[in-house]
Amino acid sequence: MKITSKRSLLIAILGICMAILLLISMSGESQAGPSKPEEPPANETPPNWSRASTLFTENIHQILPSKLTAANLPPPVKDPCLHCHISGEETGLWTPLVRWIMFGGAGLIFAFGIYRSSSIWVTRKPWKPLLSRTADWFDERYEISDPLSKFLSKPVPNFARRWWYCLGGITAFLFVVQGLTGIMLAFYYKPTPDQAYASIQFIETQVNYGSAVRMIHHWSANGMILMCTAHMIRVFIMGAYKKPREFNWVSGVLLLLLTLGFGLTGYLLPWDQRAFWATTVATEIGAAIPVIGDLVLVFARVGWDVAAETLTRFYALHILILPLVTVASMGAHFLMVRRQGIAEPL
Amino acid sequence: MAEIDTSTKENSVPFYPVHVSNEAKVVLGISVIAIVIGLIGLFSPVGLGEPADPMNTPAHVKPEWYFLGLYQLLKYISKTAGAVLPIIGVLVITFWPFIDRKPDQSKRSYRNRAIGVAAFMVILIAMTIWGEVS
Repeated sequence: MKITSKRSLLIAILGICMAILLLISMSGESQAGPSKPEEPPANETPPNWSRASTLFTENIHQILPSKLTAANLPPPVKDPCLHCHISGEETGLWTPLVRWIMFGGAGLIFAFGIYRSSSIWVTRKPWKPLLSRTADWFDERYEISDPLSKFLSKPVPNFARRWWYCLGGITAFLFVVQGLTGIMLAFYYKPTPDQAYASIQFIETQVNYGSAVRMIHHWSANGMILMCTAHMIRVFIMGAYKKPREFNWVSGVLLLLLTLGFGLTGYLLPWDQRAFWATTVATEIGAAIPVIGDLVLVFARVGWDVAAETLTRFYALHILILPLVTVASMGAHFLMVRRQGIAEPL
Repeated sequence: MAEIDTSTKENSVPFYPVHVSNEAKVVLGISVIAIVIGLIGLFSPVGLGEPADPMNTPAHVKPEWYFLGLYQLLKYISKTAGAVLPIIGVLVITFWPFIDRKPDQSKRSYRNRAIGVAAFMVILIAMTIWGEVS
């Protein structure tokens, strides 16, 4: 107890020192800081905002009137270009961020030292680390530690540690990768025929790491189909679908079909010639079904042709409906594996 | 089927931490591959073709590679059969556990199924390549 109270005293002193440093730096800044900048003369010609669209290619200072001299400098423009944060030209953000992290961290350490000292003082008990404290708090209310330890201590048979048993896990991880990169792409993608193509161009040329994220999404999609098929072949050859795992196989086939559905709906989204005509012929395969063929075609394309409504429908399927159904099916798939165990090979 | 007692220490490892850390290594490996692919994408992006033009059909219209085999099949058999056969195939695959119900007796059944899968995959890959080059 003596040691813990000593350590908490040390942390509190460290925090106080940080706070004093912060105060000194703040007061120094307010003294040395510039006085209120002068307003520019009213008869000055305004900036030529009609050229604002050139922000991506030109320096921000180039669009200001050219007759400004060093003696007649306007106050610095404060963050005139929001896009520059996206395209990476703006670097002024980092100084306040670093300042926030430094002094905010110092403040947190200070507050933690005060809390720790007062807690030891009030309870007269040794300090318990925050992590186990939080765990105990939740366990007291939700009684999660018993089922969790049961879940974590379940034995995994040695035969299930060969490499061909991890193909399904790789598929699941690739689905997570697809979800993350897909969310990143959805921030910038616009699902209309007028803007879809341009928004993908924007992602590839302007957005930071946009082309990398799109590349990962593209190849991870192909990898997911390959890994899904490989997992299915492994399960089929080893006869792991047999009693009592019939429905696990059914849910697996459903997941393969959903993956193919992701591929079909996602391929249209760039809205280039390849995407447009690939979707046209792929939906024509559905139209060949007897009796309900036309219905399938009209339902898939929202009309007789691939058009704007097809794009929005495929987009909704791709980012909302298919992920929801897939997550539900994956949950069922994993629960069944967990419950029934991994099939033993002969 | 030989019963293996998975509860003994010799035949199994605990899920946590042994199996979880093994899986984490796989996840790490896949992540590294994904990041390398992303770095390649920074220098040579996936790219885009010409903007979509419904009035102008390109010379060689093809679906995605995973539908290419089916598309090629559809070119040479009648339209109805080409649409009905895949549906029947998918239904048979979906409900295969209810068709093949006999428990495996020996490794021979593994071999038989492997031959079947290999034949199917060879046909599928051949159709896909044929669709790609034609």
